[in-house]
Amino acid sequence: MKILARQVMLETRLFLRRKDDLFWTLAFPLFFIVLFGLIYQDVVWEDLGLRAIEYLLPGIIVMALMTSGIMATASGFVEERERGIYRRLSLTPLKRRTLLGGQLIQRYVVILIQTILLLVVGTLAFDIQISGNLFWSWLVVTLGALCFLSIGFLLTGLIKSARAANGISMIVFFMLMFLGGIYFPNDMMPDFLRTFSNTLPSTNLNDALRAVMIMGLGIEEAWRELLVVGGWFIGSLAVAVRLFRWE
Amino acid sequence: MAVDGISFSVEEGEIFGVLGPNGAGKTTTVETIEGLRRPDSGEVSVCGIDALREPEPIKELIGVQLQTTSLYDRIRVKEAVDLFGGYYRKAIPTATLLEEVSLTDKKNSYVSELSGGQKQRLALALALINDPGLLFLDEPTTGLDPQARRNVWSIITGLQEEGKTVILTTHYMEEAEELCNRVAIMDHGRIIALDTPSALIAGAGLESRIELDGVDDELRAMLGRTDLPLRMVDSGDGIIIHTKKPSLVLKEIVRTAIQCGVDLSNISVRRATLEDVFLALTGRQLRE
Repeated sequence: MKILARQVMLETRLFLRRKDDLFWTLAFPLFFIVLFGLIYQDVVWEDLGLRAIEYLLPGIIVMALMTSGIMATASGFVEERERGIYRRLSLTPLKRRTLLGGQLIQRYVVILIQTILLLVVGTLAFDIQISGNLFWSWLVVTLGALCFLSIGFLLTGLIKSARAANGISMIVFFMLMFLGGIYFPNDMMPDFLRTFSNTLPSTNLNDALRAVMIMGLGIEEAWRELLVVGGWFIGSLAVAVRLFRWE
Repeated sequence: MAVDGISFSVEEGEIFGVLGPNGAGKTTTVETIEGLRRPDSGEVSVCGIDALREPEPIKELIGVQLQTTSLYDRIRVKEAVDLFGGYYRKAIPTATLLEEVSLTDKKNSYVSELSGGQKQRLALALALINDPGLLFLDEPTTGLDPQARRNVWSIITGLQEEGKTVILTTHYMEEAEELCNRVAIMDHGRIIALDTPSALIAGAGLESRIELDGVDDELRAMLGRTDLPLRMVDSGDGIIIHTKKPSLVLKEIVRTAIQCGVDLSNISVRRATLEDVFLALTGRQLRE
């Protein structure tokens, strides 16, 4: 337990010293909420019955979750593995599950901080009303975190080199972001694209989070979306465990 | 197959060298003992524990410096030592350890800012953190300048004086001769010789080498007509004499030199080295 706590501290320290992680996980989502907040300040999307920025906030949270869960996880892990750090650590009595646990906890903490930061900026600077139940919202965010972390670790099993990890995780990230209805409702997409989009974890998490957090609906109203996200979580986790490689 | 059918045991308190050219299987051999690789077949026993069946308890007993030790870039020297210390049941205090490897003034530097020699010394510190009785050092001085190499050598002899057992790999002959009590010479995944350095050299029946620069004509004539067992080779500005009877040959050289009033200021005598042993055993240079 003490060693796990120390591993979390270590991962946190390393995270704070990695400028690209800080940029993608914190600066990048904040930039988007401020940018869209300024652009859409007074715009209301009548057919959705929401202010544009209220529509967009859950998407930006989903995007932030993906920067931590997918991008930072895949590229960070593959790089450390490629450099032989895990190999050296395997000579010490440190358990691999403790090493992994430290990473997962640290990422989850970052995800919570990202979410809170975006909510605070959204409510204070752009007057977004969070009318939903916070506990349910946290639960949805946590499911999303688990889902994206699994996808991130799934990628580490598929990708061999750190250079490829950066590129591939970024492609996955941008695909999930643009096809996930994060910056525009996916009703605007042609049919075949919308059908595809509706199967993605980003789209479903986005819709679930909007329903629960912004529109104040009960969590049961989003069961279909949550089921899809949960399916992605279980599926990715199963494949990730299968492909997982320490060396 | 990198390593095939090798067997040896290392005594407590000795410095045991695994010597051979790159690709001979040295690293594979030590990494198998350390538990990083699993052999297809065979047995490994470390401190009386079956290393293949029970790798965990061995981790507390051994220290390992890999050929290249990678650490997180953005971690400070002191933090790295603290971190590793936390993994073991007992650990040497960070300050003591940094003092021992002369990194005290670098303790707040990031690992990525260290020079090659400093990184090696940090890797050594991490190998020593749990005060292990058995140390594995994989090419501990490769890539170091001569002074840094001497520095590491003196640390290693110091470790032996503390009663530690050291297994080191190297492709430097002089390193093996200088440090090791016994040496296993490896080539193509097999051990081709194993003994003390002097026994290996003596056993190979090799010739000593006497070099004379700017040799006097009379000396050359004497060496030409003598019936002593020697081979004489012209080296351009002098001669090189190979002989298994260096004392007899030297005696003749000295006698002739005194007769002719020549100073032997340009003479050098070199006994055979492990390098020559390797050459004799394999027909190849150790470093090609």
